[in-house]
Amino acid sequence: MQPVNKMKTEFISKSVNEGFARVVAASFVAQADPSIDILADIRTAVSEAVTNAIIHGYEEKDGIITMECILYSDHVSITIEDFGKGIDDIEKAKAPLYTSRPELERSGMGFTVMETFMDSLEVESVPGKGTKIHMTKQLEYR
Amino acid sequence: MDVRFKRDGIALIVTIEGDIDHHTSKILKERIDSKFIIEPVKDMILDLSRVTFMDSAGIGLIMGRRQRVSSVGGKLSIINPKPEIIKMLKMSNVDKLVRTDV
Repeated sequence: MQPVNKMKTEFISKSVNEGFARVVAASFVAQADPSIDILADIRTAVSEAVTNAIIHGYEEKDGIITMECILYSDHVSITIEDFGKGIDDIEKAKAPLYTSRPELERSGMGFTVMETFMDSLEVESVPGKGTKIHMTKQLEYR
Repeated sequence: MDVRFKRDGIALIVTIEGDIDHHTSKILKERIDSKFIIEPVKDMILDLSRVTFMDSAGIGLIMGRRQRVSSVGGKLSIINPKPEIIKMLKMSNVDKLVRTDV
């Protein structure tokens, strides 16, 4: 399938950029005129992925996060990548309520939210090299 | 992001405005907790009518406040969540643990 449009952005792992990333992703996808519900789901999933990169990938130190959005006629593909610590055990990280940092009063629901709000989620991670989160969302209800 | 407080009997009504994410939740938690300590209240009501976005950081914020309020024998409730916030509350089962008007 041929992409209709594509964009890539890069930003530093500052928590204020969680808002920046979700607004940018939603603005880009808005050109396909999806429903408000779909845009809200995308905003939430992007926020979770970027937050994971900031808290876990870089442990709140400065690093680079990239976000690529590719728009197809019926869906959007979003890839968020960091070059930080990586995840040792992806299945454990994805388990609902699991958090490696309970002191932060986090819910441990990040991956569960991404899985629930998007149509597909793939996580690739190499300890010491970084993590890539790839998600897709249909832009029309099937 | 902003937070406003009002007291109604033994309940502290907390109105959160703007986005709740990892970035904003830290300061929101600090402001809510310090107000809860100084006011002569036992219960807390979180008014989410003016929340423009909430991700799982909001779930952490709600569950953390529930724990604090319970520790003094009080109850936490949530009022006026928007549809996308209701989706998040249901997905995380918070709607079963905290009194909500949905």
